[in-house]
Parts: sequence; structure tokens; C-alpha cells
Amino acid sequence: MIPATMLTNALLVGAVLFCLGLVGILTRRNLIVMFLSAELMLQGVSVTLVAWSRYHGDWGGQVLVVFVLTVAACEAAVALVFVLQAFARTGRLDASAWQALREESLPRVIDHELPADDRVVPTWPHLSPAGVLPEGDDSRSLERDHV
Amino acid sequence: MDPVSTTAAPSGLLLAGSVASLAAALWLLLPKASDTVASRRLGFLLGAVALSGFAATGRSLGCVGEDAVFLTVAGIAVISGLATIVTRSPVYSAIWFAMTLAGVSGVLLVLGAQFLGVATIVVYAGAILVMFLFVLMLAQPSGMAPYDRVSNEPMLAAAAGAVLLGLLTLSIGRLSAAEPPACCRMPSRAQAVAAASVVAPSTDAASKDDASKDDESATLIAPAQPGGDTGDANEVAHLGAELFGRHLFAVEVAGVLLLVALVGAIAVVSRGEATETDHRREGR
Repeated sequence: MIPATMLTNALLVGAVLFCLGLVGILTRRNLIVMFLSAELMLQGVSVTLVAWSRYHGDWGGQVLVVFVLTVAACEAAVALVFVLQAFARTGRLDASAWQALREESLPRVIDHELPADDRVVPTWPHLSPAGVLPEGDDSRSLERDHV
Repeated sequence: MDPVSTTAAPSGLLLAGSVASLAAALWLLLPKASDTVASRRLGFLLGAVALSGFAATGRSLGCVGEDAVFLTVAGIAVISGLATIVTRSPVYSAIWFAMTLAGVSGVLLVLGAQFLGVATIVVYAGAILVMFLFVLMLAQPSGMAPYDRVSNEPMLAAAAGAVLLGLLTLSIGRLSAAEPPACCRMPSRAQAVAAASVVAPSTDAASKDDASKDDESATLIAPAQPGGDTGDANEVAHLGAELFGRHLFAVEVAGVLLLVALVGAIAVVSRGEATETDHRREGR
């Protein structure tokens, strides 16, 4: 059993995760990021279920979360296959690439202005090659002057 | 441990401010055409303000500041979740989601659900997220795609999400206001048993039905009886007894579902390849 304050805290965390996932799945256009947002919503629901389960001392909520995990694994497997098939057809992971499937009354999504590619060229860490002797001869510095 | 606040309901002004700043922060942080570095920094600042506002609301609900471990893992989960949905690169988004999973696993461990905390890491981060990353590596075009730098209706969606979160917070506050004031102290054993005895009749009836059906299952689900504390060392054993006792049929159904998903995924992929080769043969 957990105290009521812990219950409200956990419910708040679950609500925040759920709402963030909702915003993500509504706005993002990358299919993979949309699925990640759906998984985020599932995480929020899982936290809520476990919190209620622990508050009431009942195992039903935790058992339900086990099945949520199972269904999430199935959903990810099947959905990623469809995402890969969609990518093989269009060459894009864009949800708007499939807007020919929209209803007749809906307007067409047109990207009027695309932001400039502000990608920063990454500076990779410099790895020194192994097995190369350093500059100068340091071997004499290890020798003692006198015994 | 003294009560943090006597008012259980969150103050409306604080909540409204949190909702407004969260909506503005989400709108600033989501990928848009009119993005600048300054607007993103302002978004981060507003997001921090909004999250601390919600934490303060939670503090007036209960006592967030009491448990430093809970505060840490919840902060990791929430901030990583925010970064998951606003990051431009989908690979970074997946890795932020792994951080969210770590935070959620910590929250589950703090709540006392040890098996689910570990299963979240093993199943989600170990299997599902790796599958996402595989697909990303297979399907991601080189460079950052233009559709990752724009989003659909960021303003409306941010407002909707923030308002929904505000409403959920209000209902959670009403929930804790309806309860007897027990801020910042664990309920004693007697209180727990008294609280459990309120819900006892239905559970007793259910267990009597089970007992009439099968004596063995009644002994299996015995740990789930009211009064039995779920926070003991045998948590995994009790969860397993509940899972394979009362919910055995659902476990079978879940196994069938996994099999169907496996067969379906393979069938979709292999059928596509077969038609491709057929086309090639016909072309030659």
C-alpha cells in the first residue's frame, strides 16, 4: 500500500506523460516518432494503473500493465512492418505522403515554407591511433639516475 | 514531517499559469518553420517554468518534495518525454524515449512494482526500442528530412495537450481533496486494514465464487486478499500467482496474440517480396 500523497504524485506523472504523448502524436509527421509518442501515452497509462493498483492493494492493475506490455510489443512489431512497407513505396517516413487517403472535404497539406536546414555539422571526437610511439623519447625519463 | 499545505485543492491561478506556459513552451519547442535558437531557448525556459508549476501544484496536492528519489526519477521521465516529442532527429527522439523508460521504471520501482519496473526496461528498452532503432536505421534517409522540421498544427495541439493536462490535474486535486487529510504520513496498519475492509464485500464475494469453483485457485489468489500488503519481498511471486491463477485465460489469449502478431508481420513482409519477384519474372 502506498499513501494517498504518493498516489496523487504518480497520477500527476502519468497525466504529464500521457499529455506529452498526445501532443507528439498530433503534431509530429514522422511515422516512427508518432509511434514513439503512442508508446509514451502507454507509459503514462501504465504509471497510472500501477499507482492505483498499489494504492488499493489489488493486483489487477499490475496484471493489466503486463498485458499492456504484451500488446505494445505486438503493436510495435506489426506497425513497424507497415511503416517499412510504406517507406519502401514512398521513400519517406512522412505521414503526409499518404494524404491521398484523406477525406474529400479535407484540404491538402502543403508545406509552404520549409525551415532552413540548420543542421550543425557534428565535430566528432578525435581518436588517437593506437600503437604509435609519441614524439620524443620518453624511455630515458623512466630510468633512475643512480641506484 | 509536517503537512506541507492545508489546502488540498490546487490554486487555480497557479494551475492556469502552468497550463498557459506549458502550451507556449510546447508551441515554441515543436518543430516549426519559424524556428530560431532564441525561440527554442525561450521554450526550454518556459517548459522549466511550466514543469515546476505543475510540481508545485502537485506539492499542494500532496508532498512532492518529501521523496527525493521519486522527484528525481519523475523529473527524468517527464523531461525526457518532452524531449522525445520535440527533438528534430528521430534517432535522438528514440534515445530520449529510452531515458523516459528509465525514468518510468524508476517511478514503478518507487511505487513498489518491482517486476513491472524491471519488465519495462527489459521489454521496452531492450526489445521494442531496439526494434524502433532498427527500423530507423533501415528507413531513415540521409540527413535531416524536411518533414522532421515541420509539424502539423503545433499551436492547437500544444493548447489541447496543456488544457487536457490542466483538467487532469484538477480532477486529481479533487480526488485528493475528497480523501481524509493524510498528508505526508504513511497510513498505519489499522487504517490500511480499515480502508481495505470498505472494499472487502465484493472481493470476498468474488473469492467465494472462486473457492466454490476451485479450491486450488482460491489458495493461489490468497495473497490478493484485502489486508495482504502488496509491498513485501514476495511481490513477484504474488504477481505471478495472480497472473497465472485468476488471469490464466488472459495469459493464454496474450500468447495467441503474440503468435498472431508474429505470423502477421512475417506474412505482410514476405507477400510484398513475392509480388516483387513475380513482377521481375514477368518483366523478363
